[in-house]
Amino acid sequence: MTIRDIEVQGRKVQLYEAGSGAPVLYFHGVADMHGAAAEPFPFHRALADKFKLIAPAHPGCVGSAEDNTLESIDDLVFHALELLDTLGLERADIVGNGMGGWLAAELAARNPERVGKLALIGATGLFVSGSPIGDLFMAVQPQNGGVGDLRSMLFSDGDGELAQTMFPDILADKPQGMRRYQVFRFASRVGFTPPYFYHAKLRDRLHRFKGPALVVWGNNDRFVPVSHAKAYGEALAGSTVELISGAGHAVILESPDVVAGKIAAFMAG
Amino acid sequence: MHPVRLFCWHFMAYPHLPADFDENHESGWVTVPNSLWDRKKSKGLYQEYLDQLVYADELGFDGMVLNEHHQNIYGLMPSPNILAAALTQKTKKGKIVVLGNLPPMYLNPLRIAEEYAMLDNMSDGRLIAGFAVGGGPEAFNYNVPSPHGRRRLWEAIDLIVKSWTDDGPFQHDGPCYPMRYVNVWPRPVQTPHPEIWVPGSRSVESMAEVAKRGYGYFLSSRSHGGGTRDAARQFAQVMTDHGKTYTPFKMGVLLSVYVSETDEQARAECEEGVFYFLKNCLKGHLRTEGKSMTFGPGVPSQSLRSWEAFLDSPRSSGGMLGDARDWDELESKNSIMVGSPETVRAKLWEFVEDAKVGNLLIQFQFGNMKDALARKSMKLFAEQVAPALRRDSAALFGREFPILADMENVGVPA
Repeated sequence: MTIRDIEVQGRKVQLYEAGSGAPVLYFHGVADMHGAAAEPFPFHRALADKFKLIAPAHPGCVGSAEDNTLESIDDLVFHALELLDTLGLERADIVGNGMGGWLAAELAARNPERVGKLALIGATGLFVSGSPIGDLFMAVQPQNGGVGDLRSMLFSDGDGELAQTMFPDILADKPQGMRRYQVFRFASRVGFTPPYFYHAKLRDRLHRFKGPALVVWGNNDRFVPVSHAKAYGEALAGSTVELISGAGHAVILESPDVVAGKIAAFMAG
Repeated sequence: MHPVRLFCWHFMAYPHLPADFDENHESGWVTVPNSLWDRKKSKGLYQEYLDQLVYADELGFDGMVLNEHHQNIYGLMPSPNILAAALTQKTKKGKIVVLGNLPPMYLNPLRIAEEYAMLDNMSDGRLIAGFAVGGGPEAFNYNVPSPHGRRRLWEAIDLIVKSWTDDGPFQHDGPCYPMRYVNVWPRPVQTPHPEIWVPGSRSVESMAEVAKRGYGYFLSSRSHGGGTRDAARQFAQVMTDHGKTYTPFKMGVLLSVYVSETDEQARAECEEGVFYFLKNCLKGHLRTEGKSMTFGPGVPSQSLRSWEAFLDSPRSSGGMLGDARDWDELESKNSIMVGSPETVRAKLWEFVEDAKVGNLLIQFQFGNMKDALARKSMKLFAEQVAPALRRDSAALFGREFPILADMENVGVPA
């Protein structure tokens, strides 16, 4: 594996690359590498066993430069297009987790010719009446000095060791404190202003993407309710929906092998 | 002679919370249910608070300070300009300090330019115009994500000031607030424009923005004694770096004071109100217990650099103002100055001598403190604390800042 920096239109982007074979682009979320942790998880390593994983950090996350002009999902889509241009990827298979899934879905709807296969994991992006996306920003505000509310929102088992390791109450480790601030600051650029973590028109635009799609969801997701998986499934004609029982939004951490297996099979198929 | 300017600060807290509020509610902000508002008990509340500020004017304070907060029990001034308008008609002499309006929350900053210009006219040039970015709770209330706050704030301030100083109509090109027609009527009375204050909590970026424009910096974090002194020195240096001249009147600080006849009496009289303020009003803001919305990731407008400094500061590991468990702890932090006129004068003088800050913004009313007590404290302060403070500070500032001798009015924008 390597971690390297590239320049995208003058902006520094940190890339994690591992594995070999066909390139697969990975857009991260919050409970993810480049977000909660700097290092790849077993999930990312499992993907890298099957193909060449290219995982850029979003603007302002870990080593990627902040972009103060970034203020909507539109801006992020253009950033992603410029990233694809820079990497010389005419067309890429894309996996997106959480808000990274939203980015992947937007890209597929707007520029379907740039996306081969599309895999979404607990993706934000849609409005589903009666099933609002959780307030991630309120959840991360300290409760009695800790972030138990955040862990409960992101993990099936908010008290478990995994949740505690990824989002500890006490930020004894300064880099971890910085990463957390960075990923939430980035997330707030696209997800804080209404609409909250969605684009009201995305669902009706997804028909433009005709390629194969996989929708993977932890069925205990308390950030993006599982009804959103169904909504993505219906909006993406060529899609399969896979619900992972016992897992929350952080399904890549809570069920890494299952999710990696499903994605690898989908990409190979 | 330029003595410290003594301002009377008011939060206008909601004073009628049930006694078990702290046990049953996680925050006094944003999510605090407004079903707790008691219509009967609240009758006349604004009048009471307003009259306290009018009383401050009668007692000879240099001004009255209002502030903007939304959806909370800490400060019932979602629109400070409405109260400022009332003050223009009920007060005669003191400055009316609105500290401040929150431009990032507004779709169009010209509304602020217009209202401030109205207030300056209605008060015949007594407005001090404050602008603030808004804290974490305000981000939730008004949907403004933190990374955009600072950009919007400074574009708005610059546009507002230009709308006061340049002849209109002119076009403003954005990027946050593009306007085809900027042409504010009325124009403010004060020239080139009212004194401007911007609060900050020591972030280097904010200090630099304030300094290069020559505005006043108001230290919003209640760091007393040494912390304020360090901030004042830091700000003075930043001003110098930007070719501006620092005087103590370029800096303001929020203090909390209660004065009574004796030390014992002072404590007995204010303790209930002080702890109501600390436990209830600060819950959700500057208190670890409960759901605090002020310092969480994704919300505050601090840059990454400032966040890093925050992680290094003792604040990040607890020890906020609202955490004080008992009176002794509160006393030891010197967060709130309570006592006889002599005790409070001594504490304040030690503070002024050390920090050399010229604008003291003093909170006299705490939480559910009764009107009579707040007024008594203000009166004792005005009559038995203020004169000595003014005398001694004028001498001190005259000695240490000779440039003040050439200044007719320290409030004039540099």
